Amino acid sequence: MNVQRVGLRAVRRVAAKPSNVFPKVLAASLMQFRPAATTTLPPSEAEAQLAAQRLKRPLAPHLSIYKYDQTWFGASAWQRITGGILSCGLYGYSLIYLVAPLAGIHVESASLAAFVATLPAVVKGGIKFGLAWPFTFHSFNGVRHLVMDSGFAFSKKAIFVGGWGVWGMSLVTALGLVALY
Amino acid sequence: MFTLKEAQLQQSTPIPLAIVAALSVPMASIVRPALFRQGVLRPAFKPGIIQTGVRVAAFQTTTRKRVLPPLPLNDPVPVPEPSPSHGSYHWSFERLLAVGLVPLTIAPFAAGSLNPIMDSILCGTLLVHSHLGFQSMIIDYIPTKRLPTIRKLSGWALNAATLLVGVGLYEFETNDVGLTETVKRVWNA
Amino acid sequence: MAALRASAGRVLASVPRASRPTIMLARSMASMSEPTPSESPKMKTFQVYRWDPATPDAKPRMQNYTLDLNKTGPMILDALIRIKNEIDPTLTFRRSCREGICGSCAMNIDGQNNLACLCRIPAAGASDVKIYPLPHTFTVKDLVPDLTLFYQQYKSIKPYLQRDTPALDGKEYLQSKADRKKLDGLYECILCACCSTSCPSYWWNSEEYLGPAVLLQSYRWLIDSRDEKKAERKAALDNSMSLYRCHTILNCTRACPKGLNPGKAIAELKKMLSF
Repeated sequence: MNVQRVGLRAVRRVAAKPSNVFPKVLAASLMQFRPAATTTLPPSEAEAQLAAQRLKRPLAPHLSIYKYDQTWFGASAWQRITGGILSCGLYGYSLIYLVAPLAGIHVESASLAAFVATLPAVVKGGIKFGLAWPFTFHSFNGVRHLVMDSGFAFSKKAIFVGGWGVWGMSLVTALGLVALY
Repeated sequence: MFTLKEAQLQQSTPIPLAIVAALSVPMASIVRPALFRQGVLRPAFKPGIIQTGVRVAAFQTTTRKRVLPPLPLNDPVPVPEPSPSHGSYHWSFERLLAVGLVPLTIAPFAAGSLNPIMDSILCGTLLVHSHLGFQSMIIDYIPTKRLPTIRKLSGWALNAATLLVGVGLYEFETNDVGLTETVKRVWNA
Repeated sequence: MAALRASAGRVLASVPRASRPTIMLARSMASMSEPTPSESPKMKTFQVYRWDPATPDAKPRMQNYTLDLNKTGPMILDALIRIKNEIDPTLTFRRSCREGICGSCAMNIDGQNNLACLCRIPAAGASDVKIYPLPHTFTVKDLVPDLTLFYQQYKSIKPYLQRDTPALDGKEYLQSKADRKKLDGLYECILCACCSTSCPSYWWNSEEYLGPAVLLQSYRWLIDSRDEKKAERKAALDNSMSLYRCHTILNCTRACPKGLNPGKAIAELKKMLSF
């Protein structure tokens, strides 16, 4: 309303004192400013144009911009990754065990243990940690998931504490398994 | 803008009066600039137009248009056929296996090792648990809508792999010392 | 009305200065009054995602805007409105109520989905604020995502009371206080899509997976004591995609600007369907 009032006052003032500004101002106020040119299209063409536009819409960024602790370090994602590592180990070993007699290689428990015994301590520790950490993480977080599936531990605090707690506990117990056994 | 002007035009009373109103009498402020403009710009105004013109709603500046076609944009997405064997039964079965794995995982740590029967049960449960895990990865990352062929192929590849792994594990369990014992020996090597 | 205002503004260009400040006041609510001279400027840079459908082949880019926080309101939305009013009128975003009840201004702020009107601008000196549209949505323009699919999915769960038996008193469907209490924490959902677009499962499978917001709504109608189509509602979810693509990632619960718990609602749904 303020704008309206002031506008009116301006109009009155200009009208009361006719000058050479007057026609210019009027011409300006009558010209419509449009930032884009518009055309009239039949509905079918307009629809096709909209469809073409929709095809060009970019996908908003997701993994690259979302908070990393909820995507890259999310316990749920690592539950899948660690499970994948363990299952690939199980599948790989079983398949090799199945074809070993045909290929003439030995992967029985005795020869496996004998082979590992020949490795230097660092490599041994690395292999052990590579198996122990996925196992501990998947186990702890698996229990956490079972608790959540029964409808508990859904508060923001429980999610935060549980998520990072699983990381801490799994790393500590995995190191323990490597060092103590 | 144009419609508005015209509407004002058609409603207006003789022009000199309109100018007077715009300049001095306090009226609804929205109307004034337009009235004023009309009056000044159209001195040679034909009164005939006023009387024959159709009355238009004053503040409708554009005709009403549907920006988007109502269909199919406003249709709900189709609801899939219910199939509990891929839904609720599947989920419950997954959870039962996972719950079963908890004692089976703790037992070897508590007892030092597992007897052959328990070890076989552990292996069987792990196999199905792994199969279901791989299966849900395939469902998540190879959607039927985008990659129907690859989806089907990977599904069958997984089935075949699981079958072969089952045979391999059976051989391993019957001919070797068992999973827990093997892990223990390798760990202590 | 708008056209008249614009013309009035143009006429105004010839008006003496004295009458102008009144107009400036009426114009922008996002700006605050002039700071006292003793205050040092608190500058903050906002990096905003830009994409214009008028040049569809140009890649989306980030544009920087620097504001003095002393002259800006406390929330991200205040900053955006001020940028649009005073720096760049082409910046496009949705907003309406500016108090967290309409859900229009949902966007990704510093990596977290949130309502711009409920999100405080971090203190000056810290790193730039990065503002993106809701993740993995198709961008209509700048910060405006295309939520058509989201609404279509909402429609598919039939978000209304379905019953065949008439009310006992012929007027209204009564509900016990305990039954009404079950809807608390669910009915408050404003469908801003913050949770659904924070969910990686929804990113990968949005065509078939319904996503946290719609599932929370589905649960809301399932536990409503007045609804009589429970079996149908459950059957609609009982397939491998609609509900069970949820892997309890729980980004949804962390994202909800209304403090609701879509993750828990989905867990309850799964329990309800399996036992």
